[in-house]
Amino acid sequence: MICPLKSEVNGADVSGEDAVDVLLDYSAGRLDESRLALFERHIAVCAECSAFLAGQAEVWQTLDAWEPEPVSVDFNRRMWQKIDAAEAAPWYRKLADSLRFGAWKPALPLAAAVFLVTTGFMMDHQRTVSVAPNVANAAGVSVTEAEQVEKTLDDIQLLRQLDAAAGAEPNSSKTM
Amino acid sequence: MLRVRDGDEDSFRVLLDKHRNPLVHFLYRMVQEQAVSEELAQEVFLRIYKSRLSYEPTARFTTWMFRIATHLALNWLRDEKNERAQERLDGDRGGDLPAREVADRKPSVEQRMVYQARLQEVRDAIGKLPEKQRAAVLMHKYEEMEYAQIASVLGCSESAVKSLLFRAYETLRARLAHMVTGGPL
Repeated sequence: MICPLKSEVNGADVSGEDAVDVLLDYSAGRLDESRLALFERHIAVCAECSAFLAGQAEVWQTLDAWEPEPVSVDFNRRMWQKIDAAEAAPWYRKLADSLRFGAWKPALPLAAAVFLVTTGFMMDHQRTVSVAPNVANAAGVSVTEAEQVEKTLDDIQLLRQLDAAAGAEPNSSKTM
Repeated sequence: MLRVRDGDEDSFRVLLDKHRNPLVHFLYRMVQEQAVSEELAQEVFLRIYKSRLSYEPTARFTTWMFRIATHLALNWLRDEKNERAQERLDGDRGGDLPAREVADRKPSVEQRMVYQARLQEVRDAIGKLPEKQRAAVLMHKYEEMEYAQIASVLGCSESAVKSLLFRAYETLRARLAHMVTGGPL
Protein backbone atom coordinates (compact mmCIF):
# COMPACT_ATOMS: atom_id res chain seq x y z
CA MET A 1 0.00 0.00 0.00
CA ILE A 2 1.14 3.53 -0.75
CA CYS A 3 1.60 5.69 2.32
CA PRO A 4 -1.31 8.16 2.55
CA LEU A 5 0.89 10.70 4.29
CA LYS A 6 3.42 10.90 1.49
CA SER A 7 2.33 13.30 -1.19
CA GLU A 8 4.10 11.50 -3.98
CA VAL A 9 5.28 7.94 -4.22
CA ASN A 10 6.76 6.70 -7.47
CA GLY A 11 5.24 9.66 -9.27
CA ALA A 12 1.70 8.87 -8.15
CA ASP A 13 -0.09 11.62 -6.22
CA VAL A 14 -1.84 10.10 -3.24
CA SER A 15 -2.34 13.23 -1.20
CA GLY A 16 -5.89 13.69 -2.44
CA GLU A 17 -9.26 12.58 -1.23
CA ASP A 18 -8.41 8.89 -0.92
CA ALA A 19 -5.57 9.48 1.50
CA VAL A 20 -7.70 11.73 3.70
CA ASP A 21 -10.49 9.17 3.49
CA VAL A 22 -8.32 6.36 4.76
CA LEU A 23 -6.89 8.34 7.65
CA LEU A 24 -10.21 9.83 8.77
CA ASP A 25 -12.13 6.59 8.40
CA TYR A 26 -9.49 4.61 10.26
CA SER A 27 -9.46 7.11 13.15
CA ALA A 28 -13.24 7.02 13.32
CA GLY A 29 -13.30 3.22 13.13
CA ARG A 30 -15.28 3.36 9.92
CA LEU A 31 -12.82 1.76 7.52
CA ASP A 32 -14.31 -1.21 5.68
CA GLU A 33 -12.74 -4.63 6.22
CA SER A 34 -10.81 -4.88 2.98
CA ARG A 35 -9.22 -1.46 3.35
CA LEU A 36 -8.69 -1.98 7.09
CA ALA A 37 -6.59 -5.11 6.59
CA LEU A 38 -4.56 -3.40 3.89
CA PHE A 39 -4.00 -0.26 5.93
CA GLU A 40 -3.09 -2.13 9.11
CA ARG A 41 -0.42 -4.02 7.22
CA HIS A 42 0.89 -0.65 6.04
CA ILE A 43 0.85 0.89 9.55
CA ALA A 44 2.95 -2.00 10.84
CA VAL A 45 5.81 -0.94 8.60
CA CYS A 46 5.24 2.82 8.34
CA ALA A 47 6.48 4.87 11.27
CA GLU A 48 4.93 8.11 9.97
CA CYS A 49 1.44 6.71 9.65
CA SER A 50 1.79 4.95 12.96
CA ALA A 51 2.74 8.19 14.72
CA PHE A 52 0.01 10.14 12.96
CA LEU A 53 -2.65 7.64 13.96
CA ALA A 54 -1.42 7.42 17.53
CA GLY A 55 -1.78 11.18 17.83
CA GLN A 56 -5.19 11.08 16.19
CA ALA A 57 -6.37 8.28 18.49
CA GLU A 58 -5.33 10.28 21.54
CA VAL A 59 -7.19 13.35 20.32
CA TRP A 60 -10.19 11.17 19.63
CA GLN A 61 -10.01 9.80 23.18
CA THR A 62 -9.64 13.29 24.61
CA LEU A 63 -12.71 14.46 22.74
CA ASP A 64 -14.65 11.47 24.05
CA ALA A 65 -14.28 12.84 27.54
CA TRP A 66 -16.34 15.91 26.71
CA GLU A 67 -19.72 14.96 28.04
CA PRO A 68 -22.45 17.51 27.42
CA GLU A 69 -24.72 18.74 30.18
CA PRO A 70 -28.00 16.86 30.61
CA VAL A 71 -30.98 18.51 28.96
CA SER A 72 -33.31 20.38 31.33
CA VAL A 73 -36.23 18.33 32.57
CA ASP A 74 -38.72 21.00 31.56
CA PHE A 75 -37.42 21.21 27.98
CA ASN A 76 -40.55 19.60 26.47
CA ARG A 77 -42.93 21.67 28.56
CA ARG A 78 -41.25 24.91 27.45
CA MET A 79 -41.24 23.61 23.89
CA TRP A 80 -44.99 23.00 23.89
CA GLN A 81 -45.59 26.41 25.45
CA LYS A 82 -43.75 27.98 22.54
CA ILE A 83 -45.71 25.91 20.05
CA ASP A 84 -49.01 26.89 21.68
CA ALA A 85 -47.99 30.54 21.62
CA ALA A 86 -47.04 30.28 17.96
CA GLU A 87 -50.34 28.56 17.11
CA ALA A 88 -52.31 31.25 18.92
CA ALA A 89 -50.50 34.08 17.15
CA PRO A 90 -52.57 36.26 14.78
CA TRP A 91 -52.43 35.43 11.06
CA TYR A 92 -50.28 38.41 10.12
CA ARG A 93 -47.59 37.35 12.58
CA LYS A 94 -47.68 33.80 11.20
CA LEU A 95 -47.30 35.23 7.72
CA ALA A 96 -44.41 37.41 8.83
CA ASP A 97 -42.79 34.38 10.47
CA SER A 98 -43.15 32.26 7.37
CA LEU A 99 -41.55 35.01 5.29
CA ARG A 100 -38.80 35.39 7.86
CA PHE A 101 -38.02 31.66 7.75
CA GLY A 102 -37.38 32.01 4.05
CA ALA A 103 -39.74 29.24 2.93
CA TRP A 104 -40.55 31.45 -0.04
CA LYS A 105 -36.93 31.80 -1.13
CA PRO A 106 -36.85 28.82 -3.51
CA ALA A 107 -39.86 30.33 -5.33
CA LEU A 108 -38.02 33.58 -6.04
CA PRO A 109 -36.35 32.57 -9.33
CA LEU A 110 -39.65 31.12 -10.59
CA ALA A 111 -41.54 34.26 -9.60
CA ALA A 112 -38.92 36.42 -11.34
CA ALA A 113 -39.19 34.31 -14.52
CA VAL A 114 -43.00 34.50 -14.50
CA PHE A 115 -42.83 38.27 -13.96
CA LEU A 116 -40.43 38.74 -16.88
CA VAL A 117 -42.48 36.56 -19.26
CA THR A 118 -45.74 38.27 -18.27
CA THR A 119 -44.24 41.75 -18.61
CA GLY A 120 -42.75 40.89 -21.99
CA PHE A 121 -46.02 39.40 -23.22
CA MET A 122 -48.05 42.37 -22.04
CA MET A 123 -45.70 44.91 -23.60
CA ASP A 124 -45.73 43.04 -26.90
CA HIS A 125 -49.48 42.50 -26.83
CA GLN A 126 -50.19 46.10 -25.89
CA ARG A 127 -48.22 47.33 -28.92
CA THR A 128 -50.25 45.27 -31.44
CA VAL A 129 -53.63 45.99 -29.87
CA SER A 130 -52.99 49.67 -29.39
CA VAL A 131 -52.77 50.27 -33.18
CA ALA A 132 -56.38 49.36 -34.04
CA PRO A 133 -58.15 51.46 -31.40
CA ASN A 134 -56.07 54.45 -32.38
CA VAL A 135 -57.24 54.28 -36.01
CA ALA A 136 -60.86 53.79 -34.98
CA ASN A 137 -60.64 56.46 -32.34
CA ALA A 138 -59.21 58.91 -34.85
CA ALA A 139 -62.47 58.64 -36.79
CA GLY A 140 -64.54 58.93 -33.63
CA VAL A 141 -66.05 55.44 -33.86
CA SER A 142 -65.62 52.35 -31.76
CA VAL A 143 -63.93 49.16 -32.96
CA THR A 144 -67.29 47.33 -33.17
CA GLU A 145 -68.83 50.06 -35.30
CA ALA A 146 -65.87 50.08 -37.66
CA GLU A 147 -66.16 46.32 -38.09
CA GLN A 148 -69.92 46.61 -38.83
CA VAL A 149 -69.31 49.29 -41.45
CA GLU A 150 -66.60 47.16 -43.06
CA LYS A 151 -68.93 44.14 -43.16
CA THR A 152 -71.76 46.18 -44.65
CA LEU A 153 -69.46 47.49 -47.38
CA ASP A 154 -68.39 43.92 -48.15
CA ASP A 155 -72.05 42.86 -48.38
CA ILE A 156 -72.87 45.73 -50.76
CA GLN A 157 -69.93 44.84 -52.96
CA LEU A 158 -71.06 41.21 -53.06
CA LEU A 159 -74.62 42.23 -54.04
CA ARG A 160 -73.26 44.43 -56.85
CA GLN A 161 -71.23 41.55 -58.18
CA LEU A 162 -74.33 39.32 -58.09
CA ASP A 163 -76.35 42.00 -59.90
CA ALA A 164 -73.65 42.35 -62.52
CA ALA A 165 -73.56 38.61 -62.99
CA ALA A 166 -77.36 38.39 -63.28
CA GLY A 167 -77.43 41.27 -65.88
CA ALA A 168 -74.80 39.59 -68.02
CA GLU A 169 -76.53 36.18 -68.10
CA PRO A 170 -79.64 37.08 -70.36
CA ASN A 171 -77.39 38.75 -72.96
CA SER A 172 -75.23 35.70 -73.26
CA SER A 173 -78.35 33.45 -73.74
CA LYS A 174 -79.62 35.76 -76.52
CA THR A 175 -76.38 35.50 -78.46
CA MET A 176 -76.69 31.73 -78.35
CA MET B 1 -42.05 13.50 9.94
CA LEU B 2 -44.52 12.56 7.22
CA ARG B 3 -47.04 11.63 9.92
CA VAL B 4 -46.38 14.98 11.63
CA ARG B 5 -47.08 16.68 8.30
CA ASP B 6 -50.41 14.86 8.13
CA GLY B 7 -51.42 16.34 11.49
CA ASP B 8 -50.37 13.55 13.86
CA GLU B 9 -49.28 15.52 16.91
CA ASP B 10 -48.15 12.42 18.81
CA SER B 11 -45.58 11.76 16.12
CA PHE B 12 -44.10 15.18 16.80
CA ARG B 13 -43.73 14.19 20.47
CA VAL B 14 -41.89 11.04 19.36
CA LEU B 15 -39.69 13.14 17.08
CA LEU B 16 -38.98 15.57 19.90
CA ASP B 17 -38.04 12.79 22.34
CA LYS B 18 -35.85 11.02 19.81
CA HIS B 19 -33.87 14.01 18.57
CA ARG B 20 -33.90 16.37 21.58
CA ASN B 21 -30.74 15.10 23.26
CA PRO B 22 -28.48 14.80 20.19
CA LEU B 23 -29.64 18.21 19.00
CA VAL B 24 -29.12 19.99 22.32
CA HIS B 25 -25.73 18.29 22.76
CA PHE B 26 -24.62 19.30 19.27
CA LEU B 27 -25.72 22.88 19.87
CA TYR B 28 -24.11 22.90 23.31
CA ARG B 29 -20.79 21.87 21.84
CA MET B 30 -21.19 24.50 19.14
CA VAL B 31 -22.08 27.48 21.34
CA GLN B 32 -20.75 26.09 24.66
CA GLU B 33 -23.56 27.58 26.71
CA GLN B 34 -26.23 25.27 28.04
CA ALA B 35 -29.10 27.76 28.25
CA VAL B 36 -28.39 29.07 24.76
CA SER B 37 -28.15 25.59 23.29
CA GLU B 38 -31.58 24.70 24.69
CA GLU B 39 -33.08 27.94 23.39
CA LEU B 40 -31.64 27.27 19.95
CA ALA B 41 -32.84 23.65 20.00
CA GLN B 42 -36.33 24.85 20.82
CA GLU B 43 -36.16 27.28 17.93
CA VAL B 44 -35.15 24.40 15.65
CA PHE B 45 -38.12 22.29 16.76
CA LEU B 46 -40.45 25.26 16.50
CA ARG B 47 -39.36 25.85 12.89
CA ILE B 48 -39.81 22.18 12.12
CA TYR B 49 -43.29 22.27 13.61
CA LYS B 50 -44.25 25.44 11.75
CA SER B 51 -43.06 24.14 8.41
CA ARG B 52 -44.46 20.62 8.88
CA LEU B 53 -47.29 21.19 6.38
CA SER B 54 -44.89 22.05 3.58
CA TYR B 55 -42.37 19.34 4.46
CA GLU B 56 -41.08 17.40 1.47
CA PRO B 57 -38.83 14.41 2.15
CA THR B 58 -36.11 15.50 -0.27
CA ALA B 59 -33.36 14.79 2.28
CA ARG B 60 -33.06 12.78 5.46
CA PHE B 61 -34.93 14.37 8.33
CA THR B 62 -31.81 14.57 10.50
CA THR B 63 -29.94 16.34 7.70
CA TRP B 64 -32.69 18.94 7.48
CA MET B 65 -32.79 19.31 11.28
CA PHE B 66 -29.01 19.72 11.59
CA ARG B 67 -29.01 22.19 8.71
CA ILE B 68 -31.42 24.43 10.62
CA ALA B 69 -29.46 23.89 13.85
CA THR B 70 -26.10 24.71 12.27
CA HIS B 71 -27.53 27.80 10.61
CA LEU B 72 -28.92 29.05 13.93
CA ALA B 73 -25.72 28.22 15.83
CA LEU B 74 -23.49 29.98 13.30
CA ASN B 75 -25.75 33.03 13.37
CA TRP B 76 -25.64 33.06 17.15
CA LEU B 77 -21.86 32.74 17.17
CA ARG B 78 -21.52 35.63 14.73
CA ASP B 79 -23.85 37.81 16.77
CA GLU B 80 -21.98 36.86 19.92
CA LYS B 81 -18.65 37.66 18.31
CA ASN B 82 -19.95 41.06 17.18
CA GLU B 83 -21.34 41.73 20.63
CA ARG B 84 -18.04 40.90 22.27
CA ALA B 85 -16.16 43.06 19.82
CA GLN B 86 -18.54 45.88 20.66
CA GLU B 87 -18.03 45.29 24.37
CA ARG B 88 -14.28 45.45 23.91
CA LEU B 89 -14.67 48.69 22.00
CA ASP B 90 -16.87 50.10 24.73
CA GLY B 91 -14.18 49.22 27.25
CA ASP B 92 -16.55 47.27 29.45
CA ARG B 93 -14.04 44.48 29.64
CA GLY B 94 -10.36 45.16 29.81
CA GLY B 95 -7.67 42.83 28.45
CA ASP B 96 -8.31 39.24 27.53
CA LEU B 97 -11.70 37.78 28.06
CA PRO B 98 -11.92 35.47 31.04
CA ALA B 99 -12.24 31.80 30.25
CA ARG B 100 -15.83 30.62 30.19
CA GLU B 101 -16.99 29.09 33.37
CA VAL B 102 -16.86 25.36 33.50
CA ALA B 103 -20.19 23.66 34.06
CA ASP B 104 -21.25 24.13 37.64
CA ARG B 105 -20.31 20.72 38.95
CA LYS B 106 -18.61 21.23 42.29
CA PRO B 107 -15.13 19.75 42.35
CA SER B 108 -14.83 17.79 45.52
CA VAL B 109 -11.32 16.39 45.07
CA GLU B 110 -8.16 17.43 43.32
CA GLN B 111 -8.72 14.91 40.53
CA ARG B 112 -12.02 16.50 39.78
CA MET B 113 -10.38 19.90 39.47
CA VAL B 114 -7.75 18.54 37.13
CA TYR B 115 -10.48 16.90 35.07
CA GLN B 116 -12.38 20.18 34.82
CA ALA B 117 -9.28 22.12 33.85
CA ARG B 118 -8.44 19.67 31.09
CA LEU B 119 -12.02 19.54 29.91
CA GLN B 120 -11.88 23.30 29.65
CA GLU B 121 -8.87 22.94 27.39
CA VAL B 122 -10.76 20.57 25.11
CA ARG B 123 -13.65 23.00 24.97
CA ASP B 124 -11.31 25.88 24.21
CA ALA B 125 -9.52 23.91 21.52
CA ILE B 126 -12.81 23.13 19.80
CA GLY B 127 -14.13 26.61 20.45
CA LYS B 128 -11.16 28.15 18.67
CA LEU B 129 -11.69 26.15 15.50
CA PRO B 130 -13.19 28.08 12.58
CA GLU B 131 -16.99 27.74 12.71
CA LYS B 132 -17.40 25.37 9.77
CA GLN B 133 -14.54 23.14 10.93
CA ARG B 134 -16.09 23.04 14.38
CA ALA B 135 -19.50 22.05 13.02
CA ALA B 136 -17.93 19.39 10.80
CA VAL B 137 -15.93 17.87 13.67
CA LEU B 138 -18.93 17.80 15.99
CA MET B 139 -21.13 16.12 13.40
CA HIS B 140 -18.39 13.64 12.44
CA LYS B 141 -17.10 12.83 15.91
CA TYR B 142 -20.17 13.01 18.12
CA GLU B 143 -23.13 12.53 15.79
CA GLU B 144 -21.29 9.97 13.63
CA MET B 145 -22.72 11.47 10.47
CA GLU B 146 -21.61 10.43 6.98
CA TYR B 147 -19.54 12.83 4.88
CA ALA B 148 -22.43 13.23 2.43
CA GLN B 149 -24.77 14.19 5.23
CA ILE B 150 -22.33 16.69 6.72
CA ALA B 151 -21.79 18.12 3.24
CA SER B 152 -25.52 18.54 2.82
CA VAL B 153 -25.84 20.27 6.20
CA LEU B 154 -22.95 22.64 5.52
CA GLY B 155 -23.85 23.21 1.88
CA CYS B 156 -20.52 22.10 0.45
CA SER B 157 -19.03 19.14 -1.35
CA GLU B 158 -17.94 15.88 0.28
CA SER B 159 -14.31 16.54 -0.56
CA ALA B 160 -14.59 19.96 1.08
CA VAL B 161 -15.93 18.28 4.22
CA LYS B 162 -13.03 15.82 4.27
CA SER B 163 -10.61 18.68 3.87
CA LEU B 164 -12.32 20.63 6.69
CA LEU B 165 -12.14 17.60 8.96
CA PHE B 166 -8.54 16.84 8.16
CA ARG B 167 -7.46 20.39 8.90
CA ALA B 168 -9.56 20.52 12.07
CA TYR B 169 -8.13 17.30 13.48
CA GLU B 170 -4.63 18.48 12.65
CA THR B 171 -5.24 21.68 14.60
CA LEU B 172 -6.71 19.75 17.51
CA ARG B 173 -3.75 17.38 17.57
CA ALA B 174 -1.42 20.36 17.81
CA ARG B 175 -3.49 22.17 20.45
CA LEU B 176 -4.09 19.13 22.61
CA ALA B 177 -0.65 17.59 22.20
CA HIS B 178 0.47 18.62 25.70
CA MET B 179 -2.60 16.95 27.16
CA VAL B 180 -2.52 13.65 25.36
CA THR B 181 0.97 12.93 26.62
CA GLY B 182 -0.16 13.54 30.18
CA GLY B 183 -2.39 10.49 30.36
CA PRO B 184 -6.13 10.06 30.03
CA LEU B 185 -8.57 12.69 31.20
